[in-house]
Amino acid sequence: MAHDWQQDFERLVDEHQSMIYSLALRMTGDRGLAEEIAQDVFLELDKNLGKIESAEHACWWLRRVTMSRATDALRRRRVRGMDLWVALEDEHGAPAEENTAGVSAALGARLEYLMTTLPEAQRSALILRYQEDMMPEEIAAMLEAPLATVKSNLQRGLKLLRAKATSQLREFIRGVKTDA
Amino acid sequence: MNELDEFERELQQALERRPAPPGLKRRILERRAARRTRPVWLGFPHAAMWMRVAATLLIVAILGGVGMEWRAKKTEERRRGEAARQQVLTALRITGHALDKVQTRLAEHDRDSGE
Repeated sequence: MAHDWQQDFERLVDEHQSMIYSLALRMTGDRGLAEEIAQDVFLELDKNLGKIESAEHACWWLRRVTMSRATDALRRRRVRGMDLWVALEDEHGAPAEENTAGVSAALGARLEYLMTTLPEAQRSALILRYQEDMMPEEIAAMLEAPLATVKSNLQRGLKLLRAKATSQLREFIRGVKTDA
Repeated sequence: MNELDEFERELQQALERRPAPPGLKRRILERRAARRTRPVWLGFPHAAMWMRVAATLLIVAILGGVGMEWRAKKTEERRRGEAARQQVLTALRITGHALDKVQTRLAEHDRDSGE
């Protein structure tokens, strides 16, 4: 028997709002649009609560609908890379200072920016892989794409990101060492 | 894919989840509450589609009514035009007839004068 998630809607919002917002923000690069998507996704969840079977299913459903909504929004608005950077840096309150474990705030922010310059398919695969820690098989199932395509997008995206980062980050690290 | 290299770990840290904007939950719950207090009929499945269908029918009915009125007006104008034309033709016939009579009398008068 399906659990009555109606009572748990608020708890689901509490638990997953950060995940939904981050996915939407990193896909679209637009803070306002990301919040709009997050609101729409939760209202959609409210309408589909009866179909939710477990906590894991709720999380999976939310990720899937968020990625779909974000992709649709991107296609509608055709947000450009430079706009993404501005939105991520200027509009969003807490940049990467909250990152821990050895990556400096600026380094993390730069990587985050470089992510926004990647092709959409590669970006979505990388976000799900490295933000949500999902395996390629899970990503393929979520995006309804062949596993080989997802693996290829991950590899190509990572390679492209690494190449873009190398030139920029090398200079940044040199600067940090000089300051030290 | 299981083993992450240094770059991937950096990327993972850079892509930590960001906190949701303040008030997001409140706004979601407000929209949810607003949706639940909407009129019952708006909650029916495909309510928006039926509203569009109803609006389309209304527009078609209005346009149809306007079209029929326009057509009736045109028919009336045509009828009046035809009646006026008939009157003019009748008047011309009467005038022609009168002129014929005058001409006949003049001809008779000329003939009488000659004799």
